[in-house]
Amino acid sequence: MNFWEKLGKLDRRLVYSMVAVTVIIPLFVPLNLPIDITPEARELYNSVEALPDSSVVLLTFDYYASTVAETEPMSIAVLNQLFRKNMKVITMTTIPLGGPTIAQNVMKMMAAKYGKKYGIDYVNLGYKANYTAVLKGMGVSIASIYPTDQNGTPLSQLPLMQHVKNYGDISYIFVVADNAILDYWISIVNAQYQIPIGAGTTAVMAPKYYSYVQSGQMTGLLGGMKGAAEYELLVHAKGKAVLGMNSQSMVHLLIIAFVILGNVALFTSRRKVHANV
Amino acid sequence: MPMFNWTIIGTWVAGFFTLSLFSFLYKDNPFYRFAEHVFAGLSAGYYIGLIYHSVILAQLVQPIEEHWAAAATGPDVGHHIMKVAFLLFAGFMGVLMFARFFPKVSWISRYPLAFVMGNTAGIELMSRLHGMVLPQMRATFVDLNASFGNVVLNLIILVGVLTTLIYFYFSKEHKGVLGVTARVGIWFIMIAFGAHFGYTVMARVSLLIGQVNFIFIDWLKIIS
Amino acid sequence: MKKAVPVAIAFLSGLAMILAFFLNPDKFGNIEEELLQWATIIAGFTLLLGVVSIVRVNWRSVKRFDKGWFNKAALLIALFATAIPSIIPTSWSPLFGRGDGSIYDWLFTYPNAQMQSTMFAMLAFYIASAAYRAFRARTTEATLLLITAIIVMLWRVPMGESLFASIYSGLPNLINTYVMGGVNVAVQRGIIIGGALGASATSLRVILGIERTYMGRN
Repeated sequence: MNFWEKLGKLDRRLVYSMVAVTVIIPLFVPLNLPIDITPEARELYNSVEALPDSSVVLLTFDYYASTVAETEPMSIAVLNQLFRKNMKVITMTTIPLGGPTIAQNVMKMMAAKYGKKYGIDYVNLGYKANYTAVLKGMGVSIASIYPTDQNGTPLSQLPLMQHVKNYGDISYIFVVADNAILDYWISIVNAQYQIPIGAGTTAVMAPKYYSYVQSGQMTGLLGGMKGAAEYELLVHAKGKAVLGMNSQSMVHLLIIAFVILGNVALFTSRRKVHANV
Repeated sequence: MPMFNWTIIGTWVAGFFTLSLFSFLYKDNPFYRFAEHVFAGLSAGYYIGLIYHSVILAQLVQPIEEHWAAAATGPDVGHHIMKVAFLLFAGFMGVLMFARFFPKVSWISRYPLAFVMGNTAGIELMSRLHGMVLPQMRATFVDLNASFGNVVLNLIILVGVLTTLIYFYFSKEHKGVLGVTARVGIWFIMIAFGAHFGYTVMARVSLLIGQVNFIFIDWLKIIS
Repeated sequence: MKKAVPVAIAFLSGLAMILAFFLNPDKFGNIEEELLQWATIIAGFTLLLGVVSIVRVNWRSVKRFDKGWFNKAALLIALFATAIPSIIPTSWSPLFGRGDGSIYDWLFTYPNAQMQSTMFAMLAFYIASAAYRAFRARTTEATLLLITAIIVMLWRVPMGESLFASIYSGLPNLINTYVMGGVNVAVQRGIIIGGALGASATSLRVILGIERTYMGRN
């Protein structure tokens, strides 16, 4: 085995260690390279910015705790924008495992930052099972699906919900998701009720939703931690996503190096086989 | 003054379980298996609290109490009694799902399941056609009045959509014109999947960055 | 009774949703609202089925002291430690219920959420290892995939963006427009259309009673 072939057969635990070190080092030595804003993120920001102040926006927390590194910074960034513009925010989730708690924690933190009052400036509807029925049912009557909010308070007792009966009273829907629920928001809610929708998704899902942006079914898209970082810059509230881009750069370079190394090893061994033949 | 700072305790508990799970990267061990089982238990327990509050209390008990009280006092008694009946029926159908655990009567659980399946199928049938197929097809038409760059882009999209759909048509052998078109389709698909792989790498790495941030910033506080 | 009635129920509930799509909400709104409400309530009970299964299976193992019974006991303790405080009224103590500061909230926010994140964070190591071991340019198609992946991996990070911009300032935008917004959109659209047609066909089969696998065996 020559040098390159040996390099192509490193122990997996060495590979794991190199990945770990490459993630950790930029935390101590940040690169702080400039982050370019993609047109999709800018269009999303502009579409929210164009809404009149005090509009009612539905913000969804359709993600599991497993993907908070990518999605929670998006939720926080958009809440900075919504609360700055004094928008009324209604939150909900279609994620049973943790969605309600994540929504509760993020909303509490952001409401405290902007001095927003529960029931007047924002309401947390929580979770209900069967997302197709939930999305369809909210078009008829939100109260029929959510008789109470997350805390058990009847919607009739919440001042904000006096004026919001169904999608007709909502100006915009911002979906933050880590699964294919966005397909249902688009095909059920946007298609049937013509409510403009913008979304932040994990990087795994993002390539698919470029199609919806191109077709005009979505006003914009944030993809993964990079998308979250772009939105943090747009709303002038740098957070965990911008911080994470330092490590992201280094690890991507490492993985590209691994791919090149693996292929060099392949070509060297092929040349050796042909030479022996 | 509180005896314990539950935030600090929680962070240390989380840190212990995080490292226990990461230890699997070296090899399977008792700490990993313990953490895995605790995780499963916590998740299952979460569902119980969620369904009790979101469904049983919020969608059944509270509305039934309200409608019953309204029927006893106010006008429109018939409407409120009907609502109570409907809610009790829905709750009963939900309970029927548990018939699955008793082999002799497990067939009863088909009734509520069939209702949910039919309901979902009806919504999906219309929404998929109306909300996905038609708008996506509409957006594939090439606007020849647009700028040169946009016309090129739209042609790429049109050719790509057609060749991709043809590639996935397996009812006829890919020979001749169909074969050539499918070949073009596979090139488009490979480029798109390459882009998807790049995004997937980004996604996985981001999640690791999140956990490393938790360890060094939130838990050990080595970095502020 | 065992098959015919469920098929009829599926047909009627599906037909109701299809009619609701076409009919004026004034005429059909109340029926649609009622049926959708039932669907969310019944689906909620469905989520508990898995929990009951987990308790039954693990309790059996713990009772018999099977191999790994200690971990299974830990599972059951964690399950009931989360569930029981959450169903006790908050009026008894702020530790009960689901609100901020409750045991339920603490158990999710600290151990559960972090373990969920860690499970997925481990995938980064696996994908790096997979990229190293398996990502080989053996064919033209694989080479095309590999080159695009490398370009996109570079483009999506600030370091790569700066590198591309130094070659040509409009290069990052070109990648976004023609790779993501062109080829990627085309392929994803083809998959969306194909998938949506397939899902519609399956939905129709469920409504018409042709697809009955959800009923299980006899």
